[in-house]
Amino acid sequence: MRRLLAMPILLTLVLCACVTINVYFPAAEAREAAREFVENVIGDEAQPTPPPPDGGMAMRPARFDPWMLLGIGSAQAQSPDITIRTPAIQAIQSRMESRFSSTLRPHFDSGALGFSGDGTIVVRDASKLEIKDRVAVNAAVADDNRDRNAVYREIAVANGHPEWEKQIRDVFAKQWIASARPGWWYQQGGAWKQK
Amino acid sequence: MLWRILTLFLLVLATWPAQARTASARIERVTVSGVELHDVRVRLRWPAGAPQGELEIDAGRIEADALGYRFARVHWSCPLSSPSDGAWRCEGPLRRQGGLPLRLAVELSPATTDAVVSRGGTRMALQRSAAVPDMTRLQLAKVPLAWAQALLASGWSAGRIEGGTVDGEIGLHTPAGRPLRIEGRLEVDGVALESEDGSIAAGDLGGTVHFDYRQPAAAGALVSVDGELRRGEALFGNTYVALGGQQVRFGVDARQLPGGGWSAPRLAWRDADTLSLDGSAELAADGRLRQLDLIARSPALADLPERYLSGWLGLAGMSGLQLDGALAANVRVVDGSLQSLDADFDGVDVRDPRQRFRIDRLDGNLRHAAGAAIYSELRWQGGALYDLAFGPIRLPLRGEAGTLRLREPADMAMLGGRLRFDHFALQPPDDTDGLRIGFGLELDALDVGQLAQALDWPAFHGTLSGRIPDARYADERLDFDGGLSMQLFDGRIDVGALSMERPFGVAPTLSADLSLHDLDLLGITGAFDFGSITGRLHGRVDGLRLVDWTATAFDAELHTEPRRGVRQRISQRAVQDISSVGDASFVTSLQGRLIGLFDDFGYRRIGIGCRLANEVCVMSGLHSAGAGFTIVDGAGVPKLQVVGFNRNVDWPTLVERLAAVATGDIAPVVD
Repeated sequence: MRRLLAMPILLTLVLCACVTINVYFPAAEAREAAREFVENVIGDEAQPTPPPPDGGMAMRPARFDPWMLLGIGSAQAQSPDITIRTPAIQAIQSRMESRFSSTLRPHFDSGALGFSGDGTIVVRDASKLEIKDRVAVNAAVADDNRDRNAVYREIAVANGHPEWEKQIRDVFAKQWIASARPGWWYQQGGAWKQK
Repeated sequence: MLWRILTLFLLVLATWPAQARTASARIERVTVSGVELHDVRVRLRWPAGAPQGELEIDAGRIEADALGYRFARVHWSCPLSSPSDGAWRCEGPLRRQGGLPLRLAVELSPATTDAVVSRGGTRMALQRSAAVPDMTRLQLAKVPLAWAQALLASGWSAGRIEGGTVDGEIGLHTPAGRPLRIEGRLEVDGVALESEDGSIAAGDLGGTVHFDYRQPAAAGALVSVDGELRRGEALFGNTYVALGGQQVRFGVDARQLPGGGWSAPRLAWRDADTLSLDGSAELAADGRLRQLDLIARSPALADLPERYLSGWLGLAGMSGLQLDGALAANVRVVDGSLQSLDADFDGVDVRDPRQRFRIDRLDGNLRHAAGAAIYSELRWQGGALYDLAFGPIRLPLRGEAGTLRLREPADMAMLGGRLRFDHFALQPPDDTDGLRIGFGLELDALDVGQLAQALDWPAFHGTLSGRIPDARYADERLDFDGGLSMQLFDGRIDVGALSMERPFGVAPTLSADLSLHDLDLLGITGAFDFGSITGRLHGRVDGLRLVDWTATAFDAELHTEPRRGVRQRISQRAVQDISSVGDASFVTSLQGRLIGLFDDFGYRRIGIGCRLANEVCVMSGLHSAGAGFTIVDGAGVPKLQVVGFNRNVDWPTLVERLAAVATGDIAPVVD
């Protein structure tokens, strides 16, 4: 009798296991994509930027396979890709890159700017800036944060998962800090730290 | 008093034996004009017969609490000449703990006290008269403003003086039992100030200042300042004021409140035609703006963005915004939120330097209130949104409970048709939410030809109509309920699920679902200069997403459907164009190179699909054909069949080829 009772429960469990589809956030790939993006933006004269990808995207297989996300697959199944190469994201990236080298970098060096914990940048110490520069830097910071927010959103949407925006933002926030050069400031748990 | 002490000393010394002509005194506390000297030691050495003696004065502490000054271990020594005309004169170095050495010259007579402190070109002269013991006059020449740091700190503890010099005269009134009063007229030059957090700053300010400062014993300070600024720059939070070389007059009356805040019942600012302000304000002890009432007038707006608005415009991503015309506004802000706004516009032109929008001749008034309903009306003569020009509009508005609404539907001419806002509500940003807008929109017969021209599309012809009963803008996202319908190519395209993200921001995106009904293919192929195909086109484009007005994703499926009385023919040129674009090959009984012998071919069906994602278009056709997919299914003799083999097509390449076909720059490859 007890075995008979247990059967439907088991069956239900099996059925549930079959229909539950968990789409896991591809954290490792997102980290790699973020690293590439951030290094391209922060870039250093001394550091060679990675070569641009070959243009023949048509040659690549479709990059996003939802079946790979079924959490029940092999090791490969946990490594879907994150695409950050849409023209819009790349346009934003190159704009951020030129803004970083032309306007923002010296102020990160001086400590006037810092990376916040949410993937944006903030004016940490305005007194390190000339008054006139303060206006230009405030505007550049606002522009850059608009670009950053758009990038996090667009990466999530371009990969078919708008709900990943928050996770992508978190991954990027960590990466900006990880890629920060020695002496630059970043926010952690509300407090400022110097790298 | 000092005069008396010195005279007494000399009298004592004269009577003493020659070998010990040194007198000294220690005074616990001296009070002069609100300044207290503690632990004062005076020592005078006067060798017998010498023409002068040597005076040394040490003070353990000097405190001028009302002004905020404290000095420790002050030492002054100087040669003292005999008072031939009844006046003592002494000049020598003055040292104090933690400060650079100065020179102090003092002349004491029964009637007057004169003291001059100097270093290099800096000179500060003090005059007192025995006849008016409550009054001290200070004359300043190239005095560093930093000397006033302690005075500033008593009223604004977060303020730091970074530079600047002062010339002029200050009167210090210290009547017994009445408030301390300092007044003066000063010329300031190169003034630089900064608050601790950098939110308030001034640089290179130059001008003239009249001031009157009173410090009652048991109440907050009273300050009245009037002046002229001739150059410099200042920053208050996000407001950056660049004076350049233009002269500005200003005035402030302020009173320090119990607990540390300030109340300013009079604020005035006169900057020629660019901006004049009158009003009052109240600041909390932490610098927060508790209340602000301002009447602002700008008869000539042209210089306003550069001189006053650049900080705000930069934050909003609208640097370089151009304004023209005249504006007057009354603003009331309480605890950081806008209570009321009453603005009058007179011929105001607004131009975005990045050409995202333009408004011509904005007139009328805009009244907004947090409380009871008030009415106003705005009008403009025309303008443009990106490249889409629009005509005049009249907007009757009602402001109530913090929301600004349209009182009645407003019509506006646009693209040869008519646009009607049947409702509109705007809520300005507050503590919790950003800007929110809701509106209903009706489009009536907009000319698609003009739209195509403005957006640089091929020459489409048709009309666009539709109704969006409710559109909402919040958090940089614009969502539309309802749909639009385009009458195009003798058929119809329905647009649904419309939404935009960051419509004026970074990489604006537009999402929509399109469905195509019975379009005339001949018209389409003509518009795209794509050979000529006769027939009727149906299909859908789902999940269309344009980023920066470029397609980044969609799932499209287009096919022909036979219609009675419509021939289905495809021209030789169209076949070649399809082949060159789609990388297709002919699988047909007809030899590819023989295609040139025929002008056109009959077809049974044409169908093509493309699912675009990640820059790759996954192509499909009517049905699979071996390794490929059939795009054109021929009919009759010669029977033509076009089959595509490359299922994954690079989207940019495809777009490039399409563009090349349209301009006739491509030669088809026929296998």
